[in-house]
Amino acid sequence: MDFRNILISVDASDNALRAVEYAAAILGPAQGVRVTLLYIERAPNRDRFETEDAWLNQCRLDHQGVFDFLAKARSVLVAAGLADGAISERTVLCSTEPSIAQTILDVQQEGGYGTLVVGRRGLTKGEEFLFGSVSTKLVHNAKNCAVWVVQ
Amino acid sequence: MPESVRALVERFKPPVSVRTYGTVFTDTSEFMNIGYGDVIHVGARNYLVLGDESERRFGMEDPKFWVKRCIELETGLYRILKLEFAESFDQHIGPLTITCHRSAAKEARILRLVAGDARFMQGVAHKDSTGNLVRVLERVAGRRLDLNIEDIHADHREYFHELFPGILTRFIAACRAIHHLHQHGETHGDIRRDHLYVDHNTGDYCWIDFDYGYDSVENPFGLDLFGLGNILSFISGKGVHAIQELDQAALGLTEDDCALFFRHRVVNLKKLFPYVPEGLNRVLMHYSAASEVFYETVPELLADLEPCLDHLNDHPNRA
Repeated sequence: MDFRNILISVDASDNALRAVEYAAAILGPAQGVRVTLLYIERAPNRDRFETEDAWLNQCRLDHQGVFDFLAKARSVLVAAGLADGAISERTVLCSTEPSIAQTILDVQQEGGYGTLVVGRRGLTKGEEFLFGSVSTKLVHNAKNCAVWVVQ
Repeated sequence: MPESVRALVERFKPPVSVRTYGTVFTDTSEFMNIGYGDVIHVGARNYLVLGDESERRFGMEDPKFWVKRCIELETGLYRILKLEFAESFDQHIGPLTITCHRSAAKEARILRLVAGDARFMQGVAHKDSTGNLVRVLERVAGRRLDLNIEDIHADHREYFHELFPGILTRFIAACRAIHHLHQHGETHGDIRRDHLYVDHNTGDYCWIDFDYGYDSVENPFGLDLFGLGNILSFISGKGVHAIQELDQAALGLTEDDCALFFRHRVVNLKKLFPYVPEGLNRVLMHYSAASEVFYETVPELLADLEPCLDHLNDHPNRA
């Protein structure tokens, strides 16, 4: 694993943006780093919508949000000094199984990423029980890579 | 009302005062307007409405206007019709607020999945004339598990050694039933002790009401696991034990001995009943305020719980 091969896992949240900004501050002056912005996309629960059209509309909105966020994240990294060509984006569709954390780890292994960066929402213990925490799972299960958890 | 349906009403109307010959509804969108004496025509059958179902919670009757108690006029059988009522609302679990939605489609899917499986309520879903999904449910021939347990006249020690192993055996089977849903990408969504029934004939447990859904999260089964833990605590303790009703100093009880979400419910039952085996207590403590590790799947829970059953069955006091 190459620690300069860096995977930043994001969603469209403020926590993810903080992780990007932190990584940008650290990596901006560094030489020889490659950064991949990874977005794990999960469709909203179809059961929540009364009609197919309403669901598809939300899927479109979410999808647009992904690309808006990735463009913003790229601009943050470039502004910090990273070369535009050193940054790439990847989106992966994920259903309920495997979990988002497992999907991130699969991408990390497959791509030989030696550094994994992720934001953290700061869940309470109760929220972590009921909803689960991506960052906690990453810290527990990541192998052969450093994990930066940014809160 | 057509003559054919009128004749069926005559034949099967219950021996109580019912407004005869109401309206035949093929569109159930305005379910508030459908009342006793009306007939719902769906799935090529006619259902005479006897009234709205209600739920008794915290001593209050909570009417469910979208759930109708009915008689299927072609057969005379009692049926419950759940009419489509899409809503999102906040559910409170201790200090947490979770937005959930009621989904007829989800329940219809699960009814198909569990058809013929006695571990779940049975029924079929039909679309009415405007596409609303109406679920036609069979009445579960049984009684709520929590009411059965509350009615047991035995002290905890006797209950725990004589009756609890059988109850735990059936509860484990009910957990496996939930795992069956999870394996098919579904969740129950509203696991509560009043949603688990005891079959009058077999004594086996049967889950009801699975129309609640939530947005996808990292632990998709977390809420179901939370519900199973609450029931396990209830059946292990033969009820809820509120910390304020106990001698906290004498028993050495602290907040860490209580449930993570309900800080007044003691889950460290070994402090109340020292004969509770360590293994079972360890499972219960996964649901306590002190826990740092939580069950994410039913197999994880059962891997710890099933050995407890073996231990209980080996107990010398066990008849």
